[in-house]
Amino acid sequence: MPQIFRPSADSVARILLVSIVVGPFVAIGIGYAVTQSPYITGQNVTMKQPVPFSHAHHAGDLAIDCRYCHAGVEKSAFAGMPPTTTCMTCHSQLYTNAPMLAPVRLSLAERKPIHWQRVHRLPDYVYFDHSIHIAKGIGCTTCHGPVQTMPLMRQHESLTMGWCLSCHRDPTLYLRPENQVFNSDWKPPADQRERGKELLAHYLIDTKHLTDCSTCHR
Amino acid sequence: MPPVMPKQKAAPLNGAGLDRRAALKLLASGMAMSLASCGKPPEEIVPYVDQPERLVPGIPLKFATALDMAGYGRGVIVTSVEGRPIKVEGNPRHPASLGATDVFAEASVLSLYDPDRSKAPRGPKGIASWDAFGDALRTQMEKETKRQGAGLRLVSGRLTSPTLLRQIDELLKAFPLARWYRYEPVPDDNERDGTVRAFGRPLTPLPRIDGAGVVVSLDHDFLGAGPQQIANGRAFISARNANAGADKFLRLYVAEPVMSLTGANADHWLAIRPELVRNLAIAVAASLRGEQQQGLLPPGAERFAALAAADLKSKTGKAIVMAGRTQPAEVHALCHVINDILHAPVDYIEPVDPAGGHSEALKAFADDLSGNRIETLLVLNANPAYDAPRDLGFKGDFPKLPFSAHFGLYENETAEICHWHLPLSHPLESWSDLRAFDGTASIVQPLIRPLYDTRTTHQVIALLSGALSPSSYDLVRETWQTHGGDDFDSWWRQVLHDGVVADTRHAAVSSKPKTTDVKPTSVPTDAVLTLAPDPSIWDGHQANNAWLQECPKPLSKETWGNTLSISSHDAQQLHCEAGDVVMLKYKEASVEAIVRVNANQADGVYATTLGYGRRRAGAIGNGIGFDVYPLRTIGDSFLLSGATIAKAGRTRDIPTTQGQFRLEGETAQFLPRISLASLAGGLKGPPFEKEPKPTLYPVTQNDDPYAWAMVIDTAACIGCNACLIACQAENNVPVVGPDQILRSRVMHWLRVDTYSDANGGIQGFQPVPCMHCEHAPCEPVCPVAASVHDREGLNVQVYNRCIGTRFCQSNCPYKVRRFNWFGYADDEEYANLGEPPIEAQHNPDVTVRARGVMEKCTYCVQRISRARREAEKEDRTIKEGEVVTACQAACPTRAINFGNLKDAGAQVNTLRKEMRHYELLGHLGTRPRTTYLARLTNPNPDFGEPKS
Repeated sequence: MPQIFRPSADSVARILLVSIVVGPFVAIGIGYAVTQSPYITGQNVTMKQPVPFSHAHHAGDLAIDCRYCHAGVEKSAFAGMPPTTTCMTCHSQLYTNAPMLAPVRLSLAERKPIHWQRVHRLPDYVYFDHSIHIAKGIGCTTCHGPVQTMPLMRQHESLTMGWCLSCHRDPTLYLRPENQVFNSDWKPPADQRERGKELLAHYLIDTKHLTDCSTCHR
Repeated sequence: MPPVMPKQKAAPLNGAGLDRRAALKLLASGMAMSLASCGKPPEEIVPYVDQPERLVPGIPLKFATALDMAGYGRGVIVTSVEGRPIKVEGNPRHPASLGATDVFAEASVLSLYDPDRSKAPRGPKGIASWDAFGDALRTQMEKETKRQGAGLRLVSGRLTSPTLLRQIDELLKAFPLARWYRYEPVPDDNERDGTVRAFGRPLTPLPRIDGAGVVVSLDHDFLGAGPQQIANGRAFISARNANAGADKFLRLYVAEPVMSLTGANADHWLAIRPELVRNLAIAVAASLRGEQQQGLLPPGAERFAALAAADLKSKTGKAIVMAGRTQPAEVHALCHVINDILHAPVDYIEPVDPAGGHSEALKAFADDLSGNRIETLLVLNANPAYDAPRDLGFKGDFPKLPFSAHFGLYENETAEICHWHLPLSHPLESWSDLRAFDGTASIVQPLIRPLYDTRTTHQVIALLSGALSPSSYDLVRETWQTHGGDDFDSWWRQVLHDGVVADTRHAAVSSKPKTTDVKPTSVPTDAVLTLAPDPSIWDGHQANNAWLQECPKPLSKETWGNTLSISSHDAQQLHCEAGDVVMLKYKEASVEAIVRVNANQADGVYATTLGYGRRRAGAIGNGIGFDVYPLRTIGDSFLLSGATIAKAGRTRDIPTTQGQFRLEGETAQFLPRISLASLAGGLKGPPFEKEPKPTLYPVTQNDDPYAWAMVIDTAACIGCNACLIACQAENNVPVVGPDQILRSRVMHWLRVDTYSDANGGIQGFQPVPCMHCEHAPCEPVCPVAASVHDREGLNVQVYNRCIGTRFCQSNCPYKVRRFNWFGYADDEEYANLGEPPIEAQHNPDVTVRARGVMEKCTYCVQRISRARREAEKEDRTIKEGEVVTACQAACPTRAINFGNLKDAGAQVNTLRKEMRHYELLGHLGTRPRTTYLARLTNPNPDFGEPKS
């Protein structure tokens, strides 16, 4: 009786057997990697904005306080985007004819708002509040990254639920004193762990409730 | 008519036209497109050009204004997010709101965003403009000026707006021969005529129910829907405080043909034919005078009258007798006399609605129509083609008039037969003013700029007077200029802030009634049909409001339509069953109705409600229920004697929520009713156990500062449904429609259960939100941990985890979980197919749930969270009263209490220690956080057996 399989069939069978076991893990791994990839999370993706606003210039070089434009950040869930008139406080005097700023001038002249592309997006079922994070010692750059170096705004962190929880489970590594919250150049000191614990007590943060579903989802 | 575009031939995709290469190309592009569509659509942030002062995006603002109900104002405070009004709550400073709301106030915010509202003027030749109307009107008004307005007629409902009354007054001065007809579909003529008969002039009686010890209601549904419901409900319950002592606890007697909300809350209820209420009043009056009158009433009613009269007499100075709107003027007059004998706590004020009889106005209108005396007819926010008696003959006459215009929010039945239809602004878009039932004035301020090309009534009247671009803001300010004093602007700001104009309540006038001689009537033999405004949609002008349509009626739990209720005895006689379609006939008119058998109804009485059977209400309200307005002719009251019914041989399903969420057990355990007398002896046995049941589950003990709990006092619940609609508005609860209701798929997070005994007698009401059980049966059965507890005792539903197994729903003993069988919130028929304006109503702090997701009451977790964040920003804990749930805020009688069990001083802790405190299904060991206080009754011991 002639042989049905060639000798190489052995190798094929072995590979098949291995991949039956390994395959699902690889598939899950790839799937997980995709969900964590910038394709899904939007991390480090730069978008085309109507005006190429540079945080590097305004927040970095000129060191304008974050709250000058994002005025609601201490009071509201939404940090707030500057109305056209805020831009025009300076730009009615500076770079009044710059072609780059034409959409801003047009907005004021026609009373039509500027349509910015949202960079930091959370799903609709997440209820994030800027003001409470600011009040409890989380700095702007902790989540938004070094905006003072970004010519165009991009999302510095992944903003996945796991990333949120990493801090909600243990905020000590990220807490800052009140006077450092808006400091873009703040770097955690060497003994941040200890200082964080002190700050946790200082801000009366109850970490146990921070991981309840109802803290962020309703 | 041929189609405008010839049909284009589709290119053949299959067969010879498609080769292998093309097929692969299509396949590849299809795959690429489906992959590309996985990405999130881009999102924009659109800031202001010039940000308004005080507005911080993300922080809701609240403004005081007033909403009208049958012409009377009720003060409200409206929450606005980013310029969109989304929630109506009560204004504590306003006498008709007292901080609470009713279903109509809550639902008005949905009407604002109704996609069926008319958006542009319509002229005789189709869509037109206000300018075109202005031109047409000017030509017409020039003619009227020449003849001093002899052909000018204005039709409106009840108006209490001082500015509007001033404007119309000026208009009528300019056109002395013009006429203005005011009629309300649900008139109060009998009440008014009653005071004319008793006092010689029209007055409005304002009973001080909160100071009463005994109230006898003669067919008067003062706790039912209406402009005074909130105030009456609050007063009634504050007079029934168990802790104030038995002698200070109000006792309520109600005699009426069909059980109303008031009847359901009565200590003694009597079913009596409406005509015989007159005899009952005579018997009570005679008994108070110490006379004997026999044979006027059936024996049961005679005893009722005698005992009620004795009770009234014993509480002289604190006893009130009231008659209802269907009772004739003589009965009202007699009640005033009785109240005078009793020194009843009743104030009389000058009427807030200065207009005379509503039916007289209609009669004059009909005469003018038939006499061809009308040249220019202007219908101001009224709908006579739908709700006027049938013999007005509008259908034939209106189009024959030289000029007719209808102003309203909807292009309704009247707009259809008028030459012009002009859209009016919603009250939440307008400047105006309104008076409450007691005369208190409020300024109506807009929460949003008009969504469409609409005008206010003030602008319309000013237009008639020849103004070119009138501003209602200026007109309203002009009215109050003299009132405001020297510093008008600060006065104005204060009034806008408060929501009421101080010291505008009409002062009580002293008046002595003349004794009237009322002849008793003999026992009638004909059947009588009584018509009442509907508890959910009142007179029908809000018929296009899906929340109101789906709001289960307090006693029958019907939704989406009305029924003809008949007594059980009559049902047997007529061989009718619930759901039978019958022809309801009165004189020449007839209408097809659906029968409901009602145990709490006098024999020989048929009852139904107004407001249904709209033809042109809008996509939601068209063709729902049957219309009984055409049964009436001019001069008919809302009692139609001699009505007959005949079976049509068909049946129809009634979409009702009754029995959809039946709990397993006995009524006495779910809603114990205890008499005030037995309360003194203490309460023992189930369900009043004070010790929790032993459990094998770990008992949650944590050091968190909060443990949220709710205590609902069923003795204070009058069953008005305000909490239900408030919850719907706050929590983006979708509407499902009649077909889904028939499949038991109603979505209301909070339901109001109505319990009845074996004979059908109403035992009471029980609002049922989620119990937030400490040992929640829904949690262990969820395979994906979507139903979990948080540390503060909230049983939370995580929508983004839920995969829709519905195990939790079947394991919930309280049946409070609701499943989205379809995308009810997005694109279903009764969500207006997802039309954009509807979305604007949604509360941005609450997720809009998608298809396939379970949902339920959250204890308004968004409000808890907001309060917590505010407190934590100030480094403190949440104080008592900082978290008020939507249902709690809406409750007119403050039956719902919410608070923190860890706070020793919290009201919920005090209530949980009350003797009447019990847990619903507590024997299951679920340890619910929502608990109840037992219902209280105060029966007259002389009656012998308790009310069945």
